[in-house]
Amino acid sequence: MSLAWFLQNLLNGLSIGSVYAVFALGYTLVFSILGIINFAHGAVFTLGAYLTYVLAVGQFGLNGLLAGVALPFKLPFVPALLLGAALSGLAGMAVERLAFRPLRRRGADALLALVSSLGVALILVNLIQYLFGAEIYSFPPDVFGSLPPAMIFKVGGKMVAVRTVQVILFGVSLVMLLALVWFIHYTVKGKALRATAENPDTAALLGIGVDTFILGTFFISGVLGGLSGTLIGVSFGLAGPYFGVAYGLKALAVIVLGGLGSIPGAVVGGLVIGLAEAFLPPDMSSYKEAVAYVLLFAVLLVRPQGLLGAHVEQKV
Amino acid sequence: MEEFVARYGFLFVAVVQQALLGLSLYFPLMAGQLSLASIGFYALGGYVAAVMGTHPALAPLRDALGFMIYPVQWLAALALSVALGVALGYPALRLRGIYLALATIAFVQVVGVAALNMPVTGGAVGIFGIPQPFESRLAYIWFFGPLLLLTLALIHRLERSGAGRLFFSIREDELAARAMGVDVTFRKVQAFVTGCALAGVTGAMSAPFLNTWNVRQGTFDAAVACLAYVLIGGSRSKWGALLGAALLVSLPEILRPLKDSRMILNGVVLVLACVYMPRGIAGLLSGRDK
Repeated sequence: MSLAWFLQNLLNGLSIGSVYAVFALGYTLVFSILGIINFAHGAVFTLGAYLTYVLAVGQFGLNGLLAGVALPFKLPFVPALLLGAALSGLAGMAVERLAFRPLRRRGADALLALVSSLGVALILVNLIQYLFGAEIYSFPPDVFGSLPPAMIFKVGGKMVAVRTVQVILFGVSLVMLLALVWFIHYTVKGKALRATAENPDTAALLGIGVDTFILGTFFISGVLGGLSGTLIGVSFGLAGPYFGVAYGLKALAVIVLGGLGSIPGAVVGGLVIGLAEAFLPPDMSSYKEAVAYVLLFAVLLVRPQGLLGAHVEQKV
Repeated sequence: MEEFVARYGFLFVAVVQQALLGLSLYFPLMAGQLSLASIGFYALGGYVAAVMGTHPALAPLRDALGFMIYPVQWLAALALSVALGVALGYPALRLRGIYLALATIAFVQVVGVAALNMPVTGGAVGIFGIPQPFESRLAYIWFFGPLLLLTLALIHRLERSGAGRLFFSIREDELAARAMGVDVTFRKVQAFVTGCALAGVTGAMSAPFLNTWNVRQGTFDAAVACLAYVLIGGSRSKWGALLGAALLVSLPEILRPLKDSRMILNGVVLVLACVYMPRGIAGLLSGRDK
């Protein structure tokens, strides 16, 4: 338990936790507007990583229907990341049109919306598998991997290395987060968005195009999902079409831990889970995937509304 | 004919098996609780049967019991499921709606990670070569068939008895039920544990049926599939789980000629069913869809 060990884990936990937070924000935004959980968010996460991969590498993998098809261009990583995220945003809008809008029109209950979003997730994941094949891809090492560590310093005679990927993960997450908070709290569109979240009917009466704003929310949510997919993909390697399923569940744990529908909650939840995973003792590392769920369960028992969630009033 | 039985016998039994899992979600739903814990209990029950069927230390017990080892496995799975169901149910059922669903998903995930890491469950490989009581897949209907009939009979009784009506009163309005003096917590746990027990026994029967048992039996996807049976079939009728399982289990088989794209179609069916059959097939059949 040296200081160096502590600092190293702190860095690892903060960088991965910040990406969890960005991913989880996509869920939270949709939840705060519609009161439902969009299970297709994990599929959009996978899609974002694949799209960025295609844009950065210039070809569609080795297997599947699109095998050997090459793009006429090849983008540097940062534009590929941004374009991939934007395309994921469009995919998020498609999810809204396919899975949620028809149900909303009919006034169906939230459970059905959950299942229909799972149906869309099934379509997306299998479409990816159909088009790209089932094998594992990873981003070429020249993306970030071969970059020298951003910083190496010595603490108490031990080296602590800050990987460049970690700095980028943390930086991009922070920028996304600040941009989102600015948008929601300091712009007119953001105000309209909050009004829609508060009460869609009243917002519609006041002349806010509720459908447009819901569509916009899904766009932002998709951008956040796709972006975090690429970042985690770059950090850990992209692992096939089912890549997003486990992360999707973990991000759900993040938002419930922090408090459903709360933006600071998603950030706190992401950091808590990222840090808890990083500080798991090495001999328990095979249980890393369970950390988020054990924490979730424990918090729900003590504080059912999550760490920063507002207390839910009981209907009478 | 033989080919037909070989191909569709498995499918037929699989529909019944999956319908049982769907029904295990129906019990808590009767009391208005959306729990996805069933699939975790299904996995546990399967591991109980798989360990009892293959562990070298238990060889004398198997020799002594012969065929009777199977009912003993079911009882062991039942006992474990009830004990764990009560232990999990009392704290978890303080949660409502989506929170309960997510907490039970967390339970399923923890069971999965534990199974992946414990020596007795065979880690990632799982347990294989589980002894089988029957030669043909179709014969397993002698396991699952009576369990299904028993379950349907139990639900039929419940729907007409005091306990069942108390469940429904909680489903319709928990606060009003509490005000009328219903012991809401006890009834919720009762419905939850019944579902857990059913899932555990189904798992214990399924381990020999599938011959191998591993972490893939208890995934989130499987939990979602169960939920889909109930919702597509109709969440307010005991026939819903059966109809939903029949449709969703056989769909990939029927669509087999389409190969890779069949799962895409499965997703399309899910979405369309949610939009056009909000009360499920059972609701559609009973004509109360409007």
